[in-house]
Amino acid sequence: MDIFSGFLSGFQTVLQPANFLYCFLGVFIGTLVGVLPGIGPVGAMSILLPTTFSLSPVSAIIMFAGIYYGAMYGGSTTSILVNIPGEAASVVTCLDGYQMARQGRAGPALGIAAFGSFIGGTFSLIGLMFLVFPLARTALKFGPPEYFSLVCMSMTVLVYLAKGSVVNAIIMVLVGIFLSTVGIDLFSGVQRFTFGSITLSDGIGLVPLAMGLFGISEVLTNMEGPLERILFKTKIRNLFPNRDDWKRSIGSIARGSVIGFLLGILPGGGALISSFISYTVEKKVSKHPDEFGKGAIEGVAGPETANNAATGGAFVPLLAMGIPPNVVMAILLGALMIHGIVPGPRLITKHPEIFWGTIASMYIGNVMLLFLNLPLIGLWVKLLKVPYQILMPLILLFCLIGSYSVNNSIVEVIIMIIFGFIGYILRKFEYEEAPLLLAFILGPMLETNFRQSLIMSDGKLSIFLERPISAAALIISVLLLVSTSLSFYRKAKTKATE
Amino acid sequence: MKRSNIPIFIWILLSFFIMFFSHQFGLGEFRTPGPGLMPFLIGLFLLLISLYSFMRSLLRKGDREETLIEERSTVSFWRVGFVLLSLLAFALLLEKIGYLITSFLILAFLFRSTGSKGWRFALITSGVTALATYFVFTYLGLRFPTGIFKLGGFLK
Repeated sequence: MDIFSGFLSGFQTVLQPANFLYCFLGVFIGTLVGVLPGIGPVGAMSILLPTTFSLSPVSAIIMFAGIYYGAMYGGSTTSILVNIPGEAASVVTCLDGYQMARQGRAGPALGIAAFGSFIGGTFSLIGLMFLVFPLARTALKFGPPEYFSLVCMSMTVLVYLAKGSVVNAIIMVLVGIFLSTVGIDLFSGVQRFTFGSITLSDGIGLVPLAMGLFGISEVLTNMEGPLERILFKTKIRNLFPNRDDWKRSIGSIARGSVIGFLLGILPGGGALISSFISYTVEKKVSKHPDEFGKGAIEGVAGPETANNAATGGAFVPLLAMGIPPNVVMAILLGALMIHGIVPGPRLITKHPEIFWGTIASMYIGNVMLLFLNLPLIGLWVKLLKVPYQILMPLILLFCLIGSYSVNNSIVEVIIMIIFGFIGYILRKFEYEEAPLLLAFILGPMLETNFRQSLIMSDGKLSIFLERPISAAALIISVLLLVSTSLSFYRKAKTKATE
Repeated sequence: MKRSNIPIFIWILLSFFIMFFSHQFGLGEFRTPGPGLMPFLIGLFLLLISLYSFMRSLLRKGDREETLIEERSTVSFWRVGFVLLSLLAFALLLEKIGYLITSFLILAFLFRSTGSKGWRFALITSGVTALATYFVFTYLGLRFPTGIFKLGGFLK
């Protein structure tokens, strides 16, 4: 199937009433969670994971993809109007977006964020379509050693780009892999760390783990702070940026598209990092850098474009190799695996309707978002006024229902509560949950390929260095770890001399 | 003991736990890796990195530690406790008294404990939410327990 006919078949898939509805639902929920602080796309996807059991795999992935890029759109609204990022990738938008709102220019700020997101999202989809094929063809030649090393590299990059301490991120990755080993070992049938529990013999469920770590712990953390937020009162008018705004933003949007797409492909990169890098680049190339932080429209256009472009980029490694580069993609992978579908190089030929359906849905979803975010901005602003005291019990109830619905089992609910508490404590001690969840999902892939490689090579570890792609991935991993250690050593030395 | 060292000790204990049981599952050989090999290696790495983290914290100056403790002591932990208790209560009561009553009670408690509006608001919103979620999720194919009062069983 060539790109054109594949693309047409994708549109046929997504224009089926059910899929179209799930595409709309996805972008709607995505915008909603993007707008509402206190729950992000990961939390929302975790809560909705059980509802996908009864959906077709293509509907499930269309909806989840919609939540992801919808949240990137919606996140800008709270950043601009309330100075509180709806989700992490919109943190940097607060800097100039909120200042623009204070100067009475909330409309153009919201407008350029929506248009930039649309352009970035569309650009990344084109990039995705052209990059995924050669990558998938290459990935067909990969064996267990290559996959093992690539998973190792993904985890190392994730650690390297961690927000906080690198050591803490490594610990989270190791704990995630350990949790993935709980249950029956598929090679030998031995029960590992189950201690006689029937529920645990199937392994720890993705739903209770993700809901606990991202849903419950998020609510618990938010409970500590003030539950009320101040909404900046401004009249939103002139959502369409003027000629001068476009002149200043067009370069930022172009650069944001490329930065976002490329960084989205990198493991651990994604929307957050790309928005920050885009902001830094914009400030560097700007003719008036002194305006940044005081309401420069480029500071909104670049990052908002980049965080949406990153969503398309993130699909590249997932669809081409079956390796999720970030935690959102990991949940998406989990949702597909629940339906017995393993993303990877054969996905395009085996399940073209999923591959092309997802891509076409993202085009349609991007257009839907433009309509949802510009004419309906008033609705989202009203939603912002819903107090967190009312949202919080509802989020908790959805988590409880979601975890119970997996197996109609109270044990799953209790597992979720336990992980919610663990997640809360981890946050207190500055440990991030994202590396843990990503490692938990990649863990079985890592172990299976490691063991298969050893069996293939008759127990020789050198197999990982004898194959060029595997060796390159491992060398990159080592270099990243060495560079992190060196930078830590330098910092420690500077402190000591002070 | 430094407060930030507490998790490090937990990681060290966890690593011993993982290695002990992995050894029992059977490590095998590199030629024929057993079910315990991967978790054992993970436990070993966890131990090494935790020890490194511990050594690093010993070398670090104490200034950051004090601010960390001060920050935490001012935080309102009671709300977190209430939420956790209500979640556990949901898990314990759900199959006994059914979804409708449990969700109504938990929601009413949560709405009130977070200080949003009055009892009337809490009771009405909880009732409406419990019923709405019951109908929507039952329609989506989920079967909620009806409990000893058999409330909601009419939808089956």
